[in-house]
Amino acid sequence: MLELRGVTKLFSAIAAVDHVSFQAAAGEVTGYLGPNGSGKSTTMKMITGLMEPTSGEILFNGEPVQRDLIGYKRRMGYVPEEPHLYLHLTGSEYLEMVSQLRGLPARAAATRIHGLLLLFGLHGDRHVAISSYSKGMRQKVLLSAALMHNPDLVLLDEPFSGLDVATGLVLRNLIEELASRGKTVLFSSHELETVERVCQRVVILHRGKIVADDSIANLRGLMALPTLEHIFTQLAVEQDTAAISREIADLIQS
Amino acid sequence: MTLQFRVLYREFLFRMVDLEMLAERADVARLLSQLAALLAALSFAISLSVLRYAFTRATPEALLISAWSDQHFLIATTMAVVGLFAVLSWDSAFPDRRDVLVLAPLPIRASTMFFAKIAALASALALTVVSVNSFTGLAFPLVFIPLGGGFFAGLRTLAAHWATLFAAGAFLFCSLLAIQGISAQLLSRRHFLRWSAFLQLAAFCIILCVYFLQPAIATPAGLSAERNQALLTWLPSYWFLGLFHALNGDLHPVHTLLAWRAVVGLAVAAGGASLAFLLSYFRTLRKAVEEPDILPGRRRASFRLPFGDSLRTAIVLFSLRTVLRSRQHRVILAGYLGVGSAIELAYLKSLIYGYAADPWWRVNIPLLVASVVMLCFSIVGVRAVFDLPIALRANWIFRVTAVHDAELYFRASWLALFAIACLPVLLATAATLAPIWPAAAVAGHLLLLGALASILVDLTLFGFRKIPFTCAYLPGKANIHVLAGAYIIVLTAITDGLVRGERRALGDPVSFAKFLAVLCIAAVWARRRTRIRAQGFDVQFDQAPPADLMTLELRRDGVLPG
Repeated sequence: MLELRGVTKLFSAIAAVDHVSFQAAAGEVTGYLGPNGSGKSTTMKMITGLMEPTSGEILFNGEPVQRDLIGYKRRMGYVPEEPHLYLHLTGSEYLEMVSQLRGLPARAAATRIHGLLLLFGLHGDRHVAISSYSKGMRQKVLLSAALMHNPDLVLLDEPFSGLDVATGLVLRNLIEELASRGKTVLFSSHELETVERVCQRVVILHRGKIVADDSIANLRGLMALPTLEHIFTQLAVEQDTAAISREIADLIQS
Repeated sequence: MTLQFRVLYREFLFRMVDLEMLAERADVARLLSQLAALLAALSFAISLSVLRYAFTRATPEALLISAWSDQHFLIATTMAVVGLFAVLSWDSAFPDRRDVLVLAPLPIRASTMFFAKIAALASALALTVVSVNSFTGLAFPLVFIPLGGGFFAGLRTLAAHWATLFAAGAFLFCSLLAIQGISAQLLSRRHFLRWSAFLQLAAFCIILCVYFLQPAIATPAGLSAERNQALLTWLPSYWFLGLFHALNGDLHPVHTLLAWRAVVGLAVAAGGASLAFLLSYFRTLRKAVEEPDILPGRRRASFRLPFGDSLRTAIVLFSLRTVLRSRQHRVILAGYLGVGSAIELAYLKSLIYGYAADPWWRVNIPLLVASVVMLCFSIVGVRAVFDLPIALRANWIFRVTAVHDAELYFRASWLALFAIACLPVLLATAATLAPIWPAAAVAGHLLLLGALASILVDLTLFGFRKIPFTCAYLPGKANIHVLAGAYIIVLTAITDGLVRGERRALGDPVSFAKFLAVLCIAAVWARRRTRIRAQGFDVQFDQAPPADLMTLELRRDGVLPG
């Protein structure tokens, strides 16, 4: 289980993440939602160890992750929001490098890389430089790199970005499958329909603070709203979206 | 000029030296003005040598020979600088896929793009020639004004001098453009992209070799000698020396022949470049657009070499692939290797032209120096590019997979530097010397070279706490521009002394054993020093800027520290 206790991140005295506390249980998919700039990706980076919290604590299976950061990283897989990859490497070389950096046995790594490339439909382009890959293909490389070492904790930040419909469906089922096999999955996305289908519970962040942390069914009942989109709009969207759309259309016609 | 032309001209001009290749987020105008200032400073330093003509007591014949050599030097230097500039701007000389994809949807005529590109190329060429001759171009023509010639004779010499320099620069620039453009037409787009990098490297090597190795025959006797005529056919810098004399009114048959070659050469090069350019607009642009987004790749089995444990293999292969595939890193490394090659060629010239103390088949100073100099510049160059990140934001993968002790990463970096910088030099040295020198001498030299490589790798990695190419880089830390010349002089002097000692040691087993023992002790000391320094540190991914406030640690009189 992943647990955050009062995690805060300050940038020049401004709180990007403000006393965030929640739990993501093993065997469950936890949705982590929020509008742009709400602090989702900053939280993800703190959970992965890319960034240190200004205060608060992050625990995995009851142990502070900083106590054995190396051991924690061995058990974590992460798909970042932006597909930052080494574009001069081929898909196969990149995955091979990640497996070596993680210290996976060569034979097992080769089998898994081969399998992942085949299943994600990248095998034919495995010797092509990533610079030539489409956004969806890059996302598949990231997913393969995050999963190849069979992590206990899976952190997915916008994993559906750029994926085609078929691969999106595969990923949706895969997320559920991973959770059913006892893994802790924290899933951040703007695609509320997918979140609603996949996640058992959601944490909604607004301006760095948690505004909701419950199961989707409970939130629907409590707020008397039919969908997650309605719940999210009420809790985290401040703008009149219809009015803004009209203004944009008016502006380009003026 | 239309606004579209001006915008495109500016964009193309500032992209001539691709900034992605030189520095991340660099200031274009500032960088170009710095380069121009560097060339102008070089020109000023050379122009001071003209003073010797005013204060000399040499005979007119001796002065004439000296002046001809100087004129040839200026022409050859201009050609070399223009050639290196053309190599640097290799990928931006012709419109590329990015140009097409960005500009094609906009309402811009192809002719506007075409003329903007031509104007940008011409401006870049002119700026390079003017920068490199800004002072010499005014000082040296004074030497060639005919005795008793008045103001107009002076003007003619000045015009002949500048016309020659522009013609020489244009010849080389157009030749390289023509080679590149015609290759693009003859090869398929895929093959051209693959071979273009090799062509670029070959052009770089040829320019350096010709500049440093061409014989000094810029004398009246040298240019007229029968034995040099075949050679002169292949040395364009001498054609343009002939052109200068012809334009300056000296119509000696030798000059007329050379000038004719210069004019024909320039016409052929300019014609070839124009043709290549026209074709590029009709064919290359279409090919670039029609090119599929994903080209089928080749299996690269040779890259799967193991380098010890999985972490070392990952970091060595990552470093190797980065050096081989990143244009930015390759060009910077080529700059270091180019300086090394220049010093190496200066030494080898004596061997090639037969005035070295020893023949090439005996252990000799030039070949020993060549391998040591290349080793030094290779290590320093690779170490320098290790500092420059590639796709900095992609380094998150190294952070989230940091599942090993930091010391193991530092060891992997050591191996990466040794494998990339030293192994090729050691192998090339073995391949060059083994067929011509006694086996014992080759083995001895390689042993000493290996020990020296180990020392240098440790010295350059002292305090290096990064994974190569993954740490943010803060430019401007080092005043390398100022110190580079001093370092090169010191390095050359040390290398010369070291190699003379080595040459003596290679002839005497006892001396050799002592020499090797000293180097091995130094290598062990350097290794230990580097490892102790690295202990207790984490792998660094961000370079901390210098603190805004620095304590001077001043204390009151009589107060002890602590």
